[in-house]
Amino acid sequence: MRILEKTDREAWRRAHELGPQKTIELLKERGLTGRGGACFLTGLKWEITRNTPADEKILICNADEGEPGTFKDKLILEENSETLIEGILIAAYCINAKHAYIYLRGEYHYLREKLKQTIKQLLKDVVSDLNIEIVEGAGSYICGDETAIISSIQNKRGYPHFKPPYPPSHGLFSKPTVINNVETLTNVPLAIIHEDWSDEFRLFSISGDVLKPGVHEFKIGTSLGQIAALVQAKNAKAVYFGASGGLIPFVPNFKVSQDHVCKEEAMLGACSLIFVSKNRSVLDLAINIAQFFTHESCGKCTPCREGNVHTLKLLEKIKEKKATEKDLLLLEKLSKMIRDTSLCGLGQSCTNHILTAMKHFPDDFR
Amino acid sequence: MKIKINRIELEASEGEFIIDVARRNDIEIPHFCFNKRLERIGACRICVVEVKGMSKLQASCCTPVMHGMEIETHSPRVLEARRMNMQLLLADHDLYCTLCKENLLCKLQKYASEMMIEDTPFEQLHRADPVDNSSVSIRRDNNKCILCEQCVRVCNDIQTVYAIGIANRGIDTRIIPNFCHTMKESSCINCGQCVVACPTGALTEKSDIPGVIDALNSDKYLIVQTAPSIRATLGELFGIPAGTAVTGKMVSALRQIGFNKVFDTNFGADICIVEEANEFVERVKGNKVLPMITTCCPAWIKFGEQFYYEELNKNMSTCRSPQGIVASLVKTYYAKKINKDPKDIILVDIMPCTAKKYEISRPELSGATDFVLTTVELAKLINQLNVDFINLPDSEFDNPLGVSTGAADIFGHTGGVMEAALRTAADQLSGQDLQAIDYSNIRGMDEIKEAEIEIAGKNLRICVVHTLGAARKLLDQIKSGKSPYHFIEIMACYGGCIGGGGQPPPNNKETLAKRTKALIHVDEQKTIRKSHKNPGVLALYEEYLGKPGSEKAHKLLHTHYSKKKYL
Repeated sequence: MRILEKTDREAWRRAHELGPQKTIELLKERGLTGRGGACFLTGLKWEITRNTPADEKILICNADEGEPGTFKDKLILEENSETLIEGILIAAYCINAKHAYIYLRGEYHYLREKLKQTIKQLLKDVVSDLNIEIVEGAGSYICGDETAIISSIQNKRGYPHFKPPYPPSHGLFSKPTVINNVETLTNVPLAIIHEDWSDEFRLFSISGDVLKPGVHEFKIGTSLGQIAALVQAKNAKAVYFGASGGLIPFVPNFKVSQDHVCKEEAMLGACSLIFVSKNRSVLDLAINIAQFFTHESCGKCTPCREGNVHTLKLLEKIKEKKATEKDLLLLEKLSKMIRDTSLCGLGQSCTNHILTAMKHFPDDFR
Repeated sequence: MKIKINRIELEASEGEFIIDVARRNDIEIPHFCFNKRLERIGACRICVVEVKGMSKLQASCCTPVMHGMEIETHSPRVLEARRMNMQLLLADHDLYCTLCKENLLCKLQKYASEMMIEDTPFEQLHRADPVDNSSVSIRRDNNKCILCEQCVRVCNDIQTVYAIGIANRGIDTRIIPNFCHTMKESSCINCGQCVVACPTGALTEKSDIPGVIDALNSDKYLIVQTAPSIRATLGELFGIPAGTAVTGKMVSALRQIGFNKVFDTNFGADICIVEEANEFVERVKGNKVLPMITTCCPAWIKFGEQFYYEELNKNMSTCRSPQGIVASLVKTYYAKKINKDPKDIILVDIMPCTAKKYEISRPELSGATDFVLTTVELAKLINQLNVDFINLPDSEFDNPLGVSTGAADIFGHTGGVMEAALRTAADQLSGQDLQAIDYSNIRGMDEIKEAEIEIAGKNLRICVVHTLGAARKLLDQIKSGKSPYHFIEIMACYGGCIGGGGQPPPNNKETLAKRTKALIHVDEQKTIRKSHKNPGVLALYEEYLGKPGSEKAHKLLHTHYSKKKYL
């Protein structure tokens, strides 16, 4: 896997030769996009922050992957934190930040010490006075949302905030802030030094009814059939994209890309594929996922806080065979309303799994 | 820039939010969490609107306008989503509306009625949270909370008291006092701003109406006093437009309810000024601790005692509040005058805020007042006894504790106490009867107002502040020894007592400006506008108290403070 390649400060040296502006240009040219799911051009994000007048800029590395079925950043943190830290150093250099934060998922606490050592070593190696602070989350899913990370680091309740203003102009402590995912920042040094680097290669977290779960590197556009063969998915019926991305039916020649998935009203997100085999009822999974979102809703906005409870109740009613046609209709309407009126990405996506499941596997709901 | 709301072209400016432009143009959008004075959070999602080109519905309170934006505030899609969010709130709400204190005053109920919501398709969740009745001022019933967080923002951001916050997450999210303690144990200063902000019955005043009704049916002698601000706000609860003083009707109503004597807290306000001005002049002449801070507001006093006692207790005037002064006089001077045992007199105070309920529980005030009702409670009492308020004739306060000057009337709005005190202090320091008595530079709604006044060759720097967040800035300044002021007025609530925690909502800038105007008008109509010229007050000193600051005055009209702990 290229993502595990050590770059040995080579990219840092390159970036220094080029200077911030040209490094940003280079990354834009290479086409590096964010791996958190929104696919925003990383160089552009840096440029906006760099160009926002302020006495201080801040960099945050989002290491709070919490989406069900997502564990790719853990691999990087375990196996290649050197390249990640090098990416952080380059990013901070390009946006002129003196402070960087790594917002580490609470469950990854065991990685903290090692990460600290790597930071210490790298800062020494490149003689940088960048202040890199590790802040640990307390296990809340919503704190993977960039605005909630900001609240959390500021010692506030981990609540998401409406946008605009966007973090690149108005972020942590109201300073212009870049928030990049672990995989994105690890790709920075690689994209800088390798002319043949391509944005098409992604880390996929594969789990579910497969014999070889784990992190794999695939090119965007790889077919589900190829992936299934590699991970030995047997009798696949459907594939979930995390939990919030929803599902699509398993079709071997379906090419996995942002656009294709979107056309099916699902979301590729951070490339977490959960395979489901034919002997499972999608309804059971829907209940499981709805329990997750009911638990993880932060409680701030009405539709997500109150709505998730009732989607779960309706799903359980269907499971108990007590639901009427009216209940099914209500479930669909409620799911759409939560998606349409919620404040943050969690609320806006937490019913995707129900809507896509009801569309593709209506019989499982009867 | 130009935008379209409901196909009508409207002018809007950069940085404005959709709801602001709509409201300016009389397009009402239902909302719970939006409050212009508070940080926007976009939580309730009731104010969602449809914006052309955007796939999802947008919360109008936190979506900035853009040139050419086309917005629908009541399209079928919006109405359906809004309705369903309302139904979700109702499914997680105690629906015994007829048995709720906020019945007919509740915003959730109002919207449910407007949207013709007659049922919810969702299973009722039935929270079973215990009601927190621990505070003497505020009743907290989380079963009725819709989590709009207005209370939390008022308490934390405006008042900087941090008595309540948010706990748990998801469906278990609750507003709670510090670390899950009770309201009584929390740092709550009883101001009641959360009560005014709360759109439902989750936060209400602790009612003393049952006690008053019992008293009315007893054989006790019943006396009532009404605070300066009540006359400017009570009418609103009977449909009279904001800014109309209803003094005469209020007095008639109280008499009809059955009070033997209706006294005016204004009388106490005039005495308060005489004593306070005397104290101030003494401090100035004797080079004693300055700045002196007014102490009419019990919420501010508790705030000061909790957070600044060690450093600032000597800056606080020792003078009791006008309410405390009238109460003290009723149970001593007046009881003697009418030959009654004070135990046979029941005194009810009609006050602008819930903190006054706390004030009467302070042991050093020896329980002179028996009950405090807020403005909202008085209206409820009037309605309960079926008094036809609107059609009541005017009548006058009783003597001797019913005479007052214009200086007392303005106690009800921010800057009023200072203005009244200056009218008296200026005369005393200069030894003249000064004609220029309108200190208009300390009127208005700015949170911190300052002025420099020359009296008898002395330059006095004064400051008027309302809301405790703003007060904190001045208090920190005094603490650091850098305060340039001689005299400071602090009122806990935005706008002063007319915006108190027992007043009818809304307490927005526009309504408060109208209420202020009403009080200033009453002041201007009075022939005597300086407290020390009040003939009743002069007679009282002559007959009973001696001089301002005398031993007797100190015993009856002054008080002391102590460190207040919380948690």
